[in-house]
Amino acid sequence: MGNNCISFYLNQTPTTVDFDKDPFKPTTTVLEYLRAVGLTGTKEGCAEGDCGACTVALSDVGEDPSVYRSYTSCLLFLAKLEGRHLVTVEGVANGSQLHPVQEAMIAKDGSQCGYCTPGFIMSLFVLYNQKEKVKEEDISDALVGNLCRCTGYKAIVESAVSSCLNQTKTLNAEKSGSNGKAMPKAVSRNIQTKEDFYAMPTTIAEAVHYRSKWPEAKLIGGASDLALLITKKHIPLPQVIDLSRIKELQHIEVQEEAIHIGAAVSLEKIRTTLNRQLPELVDTMSVFGSRQIREAATLGGNIGSASPIGDSLPTLMTYGAILEITNDKCEIRNEPLEAFVTGYRATTLAPDELITKVVVPINSQPNVHIKWYKVSKRKDLDISTVSGGFRLELDGDYVKKIRLYYGGMAAMTSRARKTETALLGKKWSSEEVIVEAVKQMAEDFTPISDARAGKEARMLMAQNLLWKFWDETVSNSLALKN
Amino acid sequence: MSASKQAHESASYHVTGQAKYIDDMPMQGGLHGLIYTSPHAHANIQHYDLSKAQAMPGVYAVLSHQDIKGENNVGPVIHDEPTLAVDTVNCVGQAIFLIAADTPAAARAAAEAIEIEYELLPATLTLKEAIENGELLHPARKIARGDLSEGFAASEHTLEGSLTTGAQEHWYLETQVALCVPGEGDEMKVYSSTQHPSETQALVAEALDVPKMEVNVVLRRMGGAFGGKETQANNVAVCAALLAQATKKPVKIRLFRDDDQITTGKRHPFQIDYKVGFDSAGNIHAIDCTLHANAGWSTDLTMAVLERGMMHADNSYYIPHMQIKGKAWKTNTASNTAFRGFGGPQGVAGMEEIIDRVAHFLNEDGAVVRQRNFYGTDTKNLTPYDQKVENNHLQKLFDELTEDADYENRRKAIDGFNARNRFMKKGMALTPVKFGISFTTSFLNQAGALVNVYKDGSITVNHGGTEMGQGLHTKIRGIAAKEFGVTEQRIKVTATDTSKVPNTSATAASAGTDLNGMAVKNAIDTIKARLFAFAADYFSGNFDGEPSLEKNLVLAEDVLSDSLHPDRCLSFEALVMQCYLNQISLSSTGFYRTPDIHFDREKGKGKPYHYFAFGMAITEVLLDTLTGHVQIERADILHDVGDSVNERIDIGQVEGAYMQGVGWCTTEDCKWNDEGHLLNHSPDTYKIPSINDMPKVFNVALLKGVPNPDTIRKSKAVAEPPFMHGLSCWLAVKDAISAVCGHQIAPKLNIPATNEAILLSLDAILQSQKTVAQQEA
Repeated sequence: MGNNCISFYLNQTPTTVDFDKDPFKPTTTVLEYLRAVGLTGTKEGCAEGDCGACTVALSDVGEDPSVYRSYTSCLLFLAKLEGRHLVTVEGVANGSQLHPVQEAMIAKDGSQCGYCTPGFIMSLFVLYNQKEKVKEEDISDALVGNLCRCTGYKAIVESAVSSCLNQTKTLNAEKSGSNGKAMPKAVSRNIQTKEDFYAMPTTIAEAVHYRSKWPEAKLIGGASDLALLITKKHIPLPQVIDLSRIKELQHIEVQEEAIHIGAAVSLEKIRTTLNRQLPELVDTMSVFGSRQIREAATLGGNIGSASPIGDSLPTLMTYGAILEITNDKCEIRNEPLEAFVTGYRATTLAPDELITKVVVPINSQPNVHIKWYKVSKRKDLDISTVSGGFRLELDGDYVKKIRLYYGGMAAMTSRARKTETALLGKKWSSEEVIVEAVKQMAEDFTPISDARAGKEARMLMAQNLLWKFWDETVSNSLALKN
Repeated sequence: MSASKQAHESASYHVTGQAKYIDDMPMQGGLHGLIYTSPHAHANIQHYDLSKAQAMPGVYAVLSHQDIKGENNVGPVIHDEPTLAVDTVNCVGQAIFLIAADTPAAARAAAEAIEIEYELLPATLTLKEAIENGELLHPARKIARGDLSEGFAASEHTLEGSLTTGAQEHWYLETQVALCVPGEGDEMKVYSSTQHPSETQALVAEALDVPKMEVNVVLRRMGGAFGGKETQANNVAVCAALLAQATKKPVKIRLFRDDDQITTGKRHPFQIDYKVGFDSAGNIHAIDCTLHANAGWSTDLTMAVLERGMMHADNSYYIPHMQIKGKAWKTNTASNTAFRGFGGPQGVAGMEEIIDRVAHFLNEDGAVVRQRNFYGTDTKNLTPYDQKVENNHLQKLFDELTEDADYENRRKAIDGFNARNRFMKKGMALTPVKFGISFTTSFLNQAGALVNVYKDGSITVNHGGTEMGQGLHTKIRGIAAKEFGVTEQRIKVTATDTSKVPNTSATAASAGTDLNGMAVKNAIDTIKARLFAFAADYFSGNFDGEPSLEKNLVLAEDVLSDSLHPDRCLSFEALVMQCYLNQISLSSTGFYRTPDIHFDREKGKGKPYHYFAFGMAITEVLLDTLTGHVQIERADILHDVGDSVNERIDIGQVEGAYMQGVGWCTTEDCKWNDEGHLLNHSPDTYKIPSINDMPKVFNVALLKGVPNPDTIRKSKAVAEPPFMHGLSCWLAVKDAISAVCGHQIAPKLNIPATNEAILLSLDAILQSQKTVAQQEA
């Protein structure tokens, strides 16, 4: 087997792709690959990770091989399959014996036109195989990344309830056609063909070495954002450094004062582990993309993309997050996130540098309130129209310090400084103070109109989020009085 | 006999990934087609040069309108839509050239190499502009009954207003796709994801300049359609056929999601201007309304959509004096097309806006005012176009639904909740629907079928309808089994094929089962008559005693027997084999035409519908008035499908239609920029409902004990009517908005009620409260 090969299990079949010979690139999407090799059950609905029709299940390198994660294969690079077990809709049944999730989808009428169905089957398969007992809230969480235009979802939820709810892991292995395949440990790999360079380093040192050697190379974690260049704009990515195999970047370290999150930690992992320490960040993650996107997307990637909306940025800024950045000499510098982002998709990251860690201080002061809110057209799987991350420090009932970070109101995450000034030193519980302060918002921002909303609505949203924060910290009238 | 309990006939293929769609078909040596489209909303084409593109590696053909042998037009009703632009382009996304190449990348590279120059022309981009500019597509239409001046004179109150409804993208999961395979001579096999294979066949034949007999359109299933593939699938099929004809190779065109959203038409945006007269008891006496439809750049199905909108502007209410005008306007946007409901939802929305305002004005519960104006059974039962509303179930639906949903108590609970909560408000609304079933163009109401019984007793059923997920084939299979008296496992409904059943109508107007079910029954009746005639002879010849009579024979559960002589029986297999050996034909065509329907467009009078389907919905929402976020707390729907042919399929249709209606009413928003480019051209910014948008409590039931006379197995169409239940969500949101001012100010809320629209509506109330406060001060 040549150097430019990858090996993986495709359903039950050991499979090799040779990038020197086969008509695929390391950045060919798994969806394109599957359809090219005749596994056409996996469908393309949108080629941007927004519909889930192409969902596949994948085991993780070096982890329990019978635990799967769901990914949208339209945004998944083929090289990422190296050493993993890929399960597609064709591999779910055990011969002619349908998997319980398949049986349930038939029995409960979960399919109509059938085009989204393979994606739902894969999300259900992953849900069915999850380690923990399946709870009701897990169902919508597992399926929110799959759109269906026919059923109205009720039948699909019923399928999930009947097949997965209260399901525990031990039952599963024998029922699944694609029993987990034991995978080798991750080793450093480079794929270098005539046209492409795709590095899969396993240490930070290696990664920064490649960074200096291949300064044009794109850094990716899950590539859930950068893959769109290929699928939507048909711009090739000939040079890629894939950071997803670096163990050092995947740790979450819980310290007394702060949480240290490796840059390649997936957003899904953050959502499922840090609820106690960083509830607002977890809140952010719970409405960030879908399960499929969060499995791929990394915190470092989201920060590095410095999107003007950048759902995680306002939240991280309210926590006072600090980035750890490593250069090609393995020297480390620290920079507050707020200073790191300098403009529209612009940061201070030098060409030889890498975000390696995000340090998020834990708020333990009872007089400091941190909250995050998002306004989007649809609650789930929708980028914010406006989001707000707020940090309020009170001295008794008076505002000692306040930070109002907004996404979607300017070219980058921005503070409403005039509004902050209007609040400083004021009696927080006084409604009049808020009435006056929100008027300053028009001085702080000149929002734009776009596909998501007009500028008038954006301004109302920004003002209302402050009202929401006020209400929640003062009277808590948002808690429903039934 | 009871309804079929079978699951969707393709369910086991769906869940295993075996179900084949057109893009899944192997295409050895085939080419990828690309449609080169206009980047401008309105422009003259001054000059173009295709030579560089034609010389690109891997490129087999680059075609312009000059290369079309036959007719350069895909206009389905009125031929006003060139397949490829000639001198001018009329919308962003209009097709200009076609490219066939061995890979999609090669085709894209060729597109980059095309040289073209445009002279920009002024573009009309919105309905408002089109109305101002007077750009009528076709002469206005009118339906009227009574005397408006008399009606308004009898009214104590009048209200005037205007409602707009937005474009809705179909968002079928499978984008438009066609694969064309040239055969011998002029033959062209067309695999097209189309709701209307016969029309696809006709337009392909016209474009290729060959007789229809040379073109065979085949379709096993679509990955969703919802009206979006009734006419607009033709464009892709014709384009692929032109490329296949030019290259003599198979050519597939599958639209990329964004291209599909940009280039294909949507549900027509409407503006409904109205004046209503009513008394203090809430009786509506007169309505004068005009429905304005945004047609886009060509006619497509617009006039039929407008007509159905006008015929549903009364919804479920008897309005003694009513005038409905309909005007379709031309804009430089993609040509709008059929979408579940076909103008009906827009017409109904206008009426529901009116009655909602009447209720608000009178400070009465909306459900009560609605009930007061329902069509009657013996009197007050004539529509403005003079069709009698027969077998009216509105009152029964109202009684059962309001009780099941505990409407009155929940209304009180909501008022209490709203008094206790400042920023979170609840709202609830009931909306009925009465929906006419039949194509309003009467001659379209015909269908054909071909039923073949094979020597082993297995049966294929072919009919003109297409399967798009709605379960048509499942229902037809159930109908065929019941009509035959055999088990469903014996029957396979095969792919729709223009060589088996010719000259069909689109699978549309919810009429797929009604029409094709009857045609299949007709074919089965013919075969059964032959089987029975043979069996009577056979029994008489083989058994002593009285001869068997055909009228006493029964075919049930795969056995044919003489009810007077139970010992005289034959298994279906044996019967079929005996018939074959005795030279009896085991195959028959079937045909059906809907009886007794007619409509005079000039007069605006007639009986356009075979019958009406009814339904009712109650939706309760929780609104966050600070973010505009809406959560559906509960939805209760009771729907009339007559005697259901298959309850599982029908329930699924109602649930899905409701959510699609909710999407249209809430999050599905199309915006265009000043150059006529659609901004929401992918699911990134175009938001159909997700699983979490489903009502927290979602009760859907079928009305029992209401058989429909004179339809297949006494059933009713489903598909479209339940879409309009989504309007109850829109009005529930409006009710919640209205709660912020104690229902003192009528909110203005157009469709879609996005969070943006909701926040602006709330802000308008706030501003008007401020103005009032200032004036008082």
